[in-house]
Amino acid sequence: MESKFTEAYQKKSEDCYDTECEKVAHILDSLVDGEASSDEQEFFNKHIESCVPCLESHQKQKLLKNLVCGHLKRVIVPETLALSIKTKIQETV
Amino acid sequence: MSEQTGKQMSKEEKDARFEAELLPVLDPLYNFAYRLTLDEDDANDLVQETYLKAYRFFDYFEQGTNAKAWLFRILKNSFINEFRKKSKQPAKVDYSEVEGYYNTEDVEGESGVATTTDMRTESVQDLIGDEVASALNALPVDFRTVIILCDLEGFTYEEMAKILDIPIGTVRSRLHRARNSLKEKLEKYAKSMGYNGE
Ligand SMILES: [Zn+2]
Repeated sequence: MESKFTEAYQKKSEDCYDTECEKVAHILDSLVDGEASSDEQEFFNKHIESCVPCLESHQKQKLLKNLVCGHLKRVIVPETLALSIKTKIQETV
Repeated sequence: MSEQTGKQMSKEEKDARFEAELLPVLDPLYNFAYRLTLDEDDANDLVQETYLKAYRFFDYFEQGTNAKAWLFRILKNSFINEFRKKSKQPAKVDYSEVEGYYNTEDVEGESGVATTTDMRTESVQDLIGDEVASALNALPVDFRTVIILCDLEGFTYEEMAKILDIPIGTVRSRLHRARNSLKEKLEKYAKSMGYNGE
């Protein structure tokens, strides 16, 4: 049941966007997540040469991602957890 | 589920592989559990349950494939199927309260820029972390989940789709909506820290 869905959902075709800026807005997440295709990346690089707002919204999206991966504190795993997992496994299996 | 190649592991072999391949994921797994349940005891139980299941189904795990994604998927299913119901419901976040907090217009005024010099001190870093955490915790669990998987654990969209059993298109749109909501909650704060919130 893993991945029988796929393609149909993936992306709209490129012609669906009224403006280039709309297309940028749509691929913004893919861009900051490193999931954009090379075509999309190229399109974006070209577009921001002449569009400051899109450049800014890209930077903003990057900033948001960095806030989470750079500042969200990780919780410390309780010292006893690994041991109690092993113990439990030997008991129940 | 994929099939095993038919060879049976000895128990010793199985235990050794289990420890070598799955236990190293304990830290991210516990963090994920904590972000889902928002409770240390619940996270503890959820992680234990996950590893028990993983051990039971270890024969179905293909060596060399993504152990982390596999465990995350088991944990997320446990959370949805059983855990959520039987656990004491993690304190439901009161949205109006959170929203109210982020909307208080007058607290710092526009003078937030003055704090910029302190930006690099540790206490301010902590503060940002706390702020991000409370904004994140205030999101619906589905939103919280995609942000954790993507931004904290660095899963690809495809891995996320498998962990969550949803199409990639849904991963994309959910992530997009989750970030919008997180952005909204953080915007006020970001402004006061001198980031350009627009
Ligand atoms: Zn533009």
